[in-house]
Amino acid sequence: MWSRRACWVRRDARNKGLNDVGRLWRILATAIAISFGLVTLAGLLIGDGLFNQVAGLFLQLAAVTIGLTILIGLLNLYTVHLNRLLQRGRGSLYSLVMLASAALVIGLWLTNQDESNMILLESVQVALESALAGLVLFALVYGAYRFMRGGVTLSGLLFTAVLLIVLLGTLPGDHVIAQVRNWVLAVPVSAGQRGILLGIALATVVTGVRVLAGQDRNYRE
Amino acid sequence: MDATTRVVTTLILVIALIGVTIFTQFARRRRAAFPLRAIPAYQAIPLLVGEAIESARPVHVSFGGVGIGGLSTALALASAEVVYQTARRAAIGVDAPIITGSDPTFLPLAYATLYRAYGSRGRADRAPSTAVRWYPSLQRTGGLAFAAALTGTIGSEQVSGNILLGSYGAELALILDTASRGGRRSVAGSDQLIGQAVAYGMATSPLIGEEMFVGGAYLGDEAGTLAVATTIDLLRWLLIGGLAGSIGFVVAARLLGAA
Repeated sequence: MWSRRACWVRRDARNKGLNDVGRLWRILATAIAISFGLVTLAGLLIGDGLFNQVAGLFLQLAAVTIGLTILIGLLNLYTVHLNRLLQRGRGSLYSLVMLASAALVIGLWLTNQDESNMILLESVQVALESALAGLVLFALVYGAYRFMRGGVTLSGLLFTAVLLIVLLGTLPGDHVIAQVRNWVLAVPVSAGQRGILLGIALATVVTGVRVLAGQDRNYRE
Repeated sequence: MDATTRVVTTLILVIALIGVTIFTQFARRRRAAFPLRAIPAYQAIPLLVGEAIESARPVHVSFGGVGIGGLSTALALASAEVVYQTARRAAIGVDAPIITGSDPTFLPLAYATLYRAYGSRGRADRAPSTAVRWYPSLQRTGGLAFAAALTGTIGSEQVSGNILLGSYGAELALILDTASRGGRRSVAGSDQLIGQAVAYGMATSPLIGEEMFVGGAYLGDEAGTLAVATTIDLLRWLLIGGLAGSIGFVVAARLLGAA
């Protein structure tokens, strides 16, 4: 019994030691991230001098690191679709097509057949996506219909009125509705756009400051 | 960057830093002193996750086109907080949430968030690595391939509901259309104006502008996230005050000049 208890004590001590090491690594990583962030911010704010050069170097390093995430992405793509194919789940045919396409593109790249790769890109993917872009219009029209079908609300009425004004205002000629459309787009729509963008900008700043202050969850856990 | 922009930027940063620091300390002591206005989308998320657990189907959470290292880094972190809160709730269920994105830099963030959320429930070993999915898309065609992939995922994985927080354009209409045809609820918000308009018109519960950044305050109970929400409100009121003051100053100057 005593030997079992001693074993527990040793295991607890070992876990505690591992936790302490983990905590130290987290603190070190947080300190590095905050230091890099502050130096980059100072470099961008000051505009020239040593700080700016160092900030530029950090940004280049970040770009290289971001480039490496493509490899993680490819690994993820293959893992997810191979898994689905092996499990023969729903949509496994799509996964098979995806894996075959990816293998073909990588094979063409490895054999330096960039022209064939470009043909695949321009003739297949861009063409398919262009066709899909046509479908977006129908989805939008259906969405507008659903929005108006949901019941009469103030926002619904406003949406419908603005939609009609904008659509009728695009008819040829310098009529009253065209002038109203121009005013709607220049004043209330523009004001709304700026309001939304200002809100997003302020929230971006505050979230960034929280990261620089080391309060983000990624630092703590 | 000219001198005026530099001064204004520094001022905003200082106010934000002071706000976040002070409000965090206050919120730790008296959380009730910071009431939050109701946002229906955040009220819908726990229900959406609850439905998913009961029906043994996954929730779909998407980062859209946001990632780490670019202009959308802050939004990626805010979306990660919503992913954490969603995954933490869903961790007690059978199916893990499906987390998607089109920017490869979202992958490390999404994996870390998923494992952390499951780890907080003591189930880190149950978090499947295939729950995080990268669907690459061409920049010049505006994420249409990503939207097409999501419409397929929503159908084939029989997702219970969608939480779409990130960067989307008009292609969001395709995703939300698929969701609504299948009778699935969707919470959506975008940092692009076109995506924002589509989300407002087509999502079951839209999120507008800065509302996307305060998910942690509404879904979690941390003082830091509450401080972010309060500081954003403070800066917004300062901005409104500044704009109103400027308009008043210009009008007064013109009136005095005319007199």
